[in-house]
Amino acid sequence: MAARRAARAAPSVRSRLLVVGMALVLAWAGLGYRLVQVQVVRAAEYAERGLAQRLTRKTVAPTRGKIFDRNGDPLAMTVEARSIYAIPDQVEDPLLTAQEVAIRTGGDTADLLAALESGRNFVYLARQVELDVAQEVEALDLAGVYSHPEAKRVYPAGTVAAQVVGVADIDGNGIEGLEYAYDSALRGTPGELVLEQDPAGRVIPLAPRSIEPAIPGEDLVTSLDLPLQYTAQSTCADTLERTGAEQCWIVVLDAETGEVLAMAGAPTYDPELRRASDGGSFSNFAVRDMYEPGSTQKLITVSAALDTGVADLDTIIPDVADTYEVTPGACRSNEDDIYGCFRDFSPHETRSMTVREVFTISSNVGTIKIQERIPRDTLVEYMRRFGQGSPTGIDYPGEAPGAIGIDPGCSSCWASAAIGYSVAVTPLQMAAAYAAIANDGVWIQPHLVTGRIDVDGEVSTVTPETRRVVSERTAWVMRELLASVVAAGTGKAASVPGYRVGGKTGTADKYGPEGYTNQTIASFVGMAPIDDPKIVVAVVVDSPAPEFSTGGRAAAPAFSVVMEAALHRLGVTPDGITG
Amino acid sequence: MTARPVRSITVRPRLRVLEGRRPRRRPIAPWMVFTLVVVVAFVGLALARTALDRGAFELAELEARIAQAETENTQLRLEIARLENPARIAPLAEELGFVYPTQRRPLLVSGVVVDMRDADPRWIEIDRLAAAP
Repeated sequence: MAARRAARAAPSVRSRLLVVGMALVLAWAGLGYRLVQVQVVRAAEYAERGLAQRLTRKTVAPTRGKIFDRNGDPLAMTVEARSIYAIPDQVEDPLLTAQEVAIRTGGDTADLLAALESGRNFVYLARQVELDVAQEVEALDLAGVYSHPEAKRVYPAGTVAAQVVGVADIDGNGIEGLEYAYDSALRGTPGELVLEQDPAGRVIPLAPRSIEPAIPGEDLVTSLDLPLQYTAQSTCADTLERTGAEQCWIVVLDAETGEVLAMAGAPTYDPELRRASDGGSFSNFAVRDMYEPGSTQKLITVSAALDTGVADLDTIIPDVADTYEVTPGACRSNEDDIYGCFRDFSPHETRSMTVREVFTISSNVGTIKIQERIPRDTLVEYMRRFGQGSPTGIDYPGEAPGAIGIDPGCSSCWASAAIGYSVAVTPLQMAAAYAAIANDGVWIQPHLVTGRIDVDGEVSTVTPETRRVVSERTAWVMRELLASVVAAGTGKAASVPGYRVGGKTGTADKYGPEGYTNQTIASFVGMAPIDDPKIVVAVVVDSPAPEFSTGGRAAAPAFSVVMEAALHRLGVTPDGITG
Repeated sequence: MTARPVRSITVRPRLRVLEGRRPRRRPIAPWMVFTLVVVVAFVGLALARTALDRGAFELAELEARIAQAETENTQLRLEIARLENPARIAPLAEELGFVYPTQRRPLLVSGVVVDMRDADPRWIEIDRLAAAP
């Protein structure tokens, strides 16, 4: 009986076992199929999707290049700072948060509160603050307030050379000065970092990563000498205070190389506090501002006369009066002259003068009589040779070209141009013109950057453009004339103890929107030591008070201070005259 | 006497010793070696992995320290540059009483400084002009 029962039951068990077995087989088959699908058929796709979830690509920002002065002192550099931001939705107490952050960052509580309540998803509370300030804010553990590292451009020299170096904006883009002119070189090339992160954003240490390093920007070595730049700048500021002028500009050139040793202006600004400045002091007017040079232009007129052979140092210019009418009837009175009337600065009897005397006492009438001996086209050609009417090509953005405003039909314009009217120049152009005389008649393109250092330390230097403008002899004679101006003429205040100095004063009526005004542009351009000049300094003072209206009174004293400092900085040996 | 049937004698099979197969002992040495190798390999791999992980973390930590040191170095350079700024030093020097000399006396050393007034007649003319009232 039991055997029969067992025999009847056996198929049932077997079938159940069969079913279970089949189910297991099917399940395993399904798993196997899925396994093959995942691991073989779509393996690449899944691997790629998995990797995409973990992989993060980050742009590696290059470090912006530094800007140095000629001694290696940094004028601009990039440091790490932190920017404090907030996720407003996470901020629990906006007012308290705004107050706490404002106290530590120097921000405005109302502005920060407005940002926190602006409804945006992300707001910056402070950009590029010092690390210790950021740490203070982080220590408060304010809900919804975070910080991230950010590069910050800093200018350790502050106001010194600010107008030359320029500035980069908060995102590291050069927007002014050398920062703008060399932006592409300073900027560098961004790199890329590819790494794996876990869902919490932590980097997986042993996961494969690839780094395409950023290439740092090139460093710039400028020709500026920081202490001399400071001297020039403080002298300009002192000159404003002393003379009551509106602006002052000083350019110091290395006569033999064309390097700009200093280029200063007043008023100036601090690049790190530029938002507080009114903007009027941002621009470098030594390169961008044009003025009529007045008597400093006589260097070119007399050089042209000497170089073309129409006059020599001791050539007699007869009948030099203190008034000269190029346009008949132009001279009515000192207050009512019209174009075509030219007067010397001081009244004197009509007499014959040598070219030397004309130049030394800066006689306008005598200079015009010299100009009349020069063919008109030749005079213009010499003006152009000396760099007038076109930019010098200095490596600085926005250079003004100057202008030679001689209308061929204008009878008085040639006389005007001979004594520095009808001509517009920049302080830099005049400095470069005098540097040509200092450099034995060879004009050298002024430049600010002397070398660029790439990431490998390779230094590329610049070769400035040069051209001969007058003969060596003419330059030699002109230097003698310039020395006589300082020794016995209008530029006595420009003398420097221990050195022979040569230079020329310039005083030009300032041209305004309604014609010439009672204000002047007073200037002095000179060089030392005069026998073998190393330094050229140009000083331009805009609108000094009437008692300082001449180049000899407003600009020559500033020239003396800056030239002395420059000679000492370059270690130029005194050449024999004691003072 | 009746004959009685002889009692059947059950012949019991005689016991005999059969030559059996000797039970062979399974060799365990290879298994032990294999196991040992596997264990050692596993432990070794685990240790190596741990060491590598530790090395990676140390490397990351070192990189972070290098970055920190570089940041500090840059900050120090900035501080030095700010301290060396002539616009900061000059007023301090004036406060301490340092001034540019107002009187100078250059020393003319024979053979080093050439007095052009003696060598070049043009300076005579300039000096004449300078001496003029």
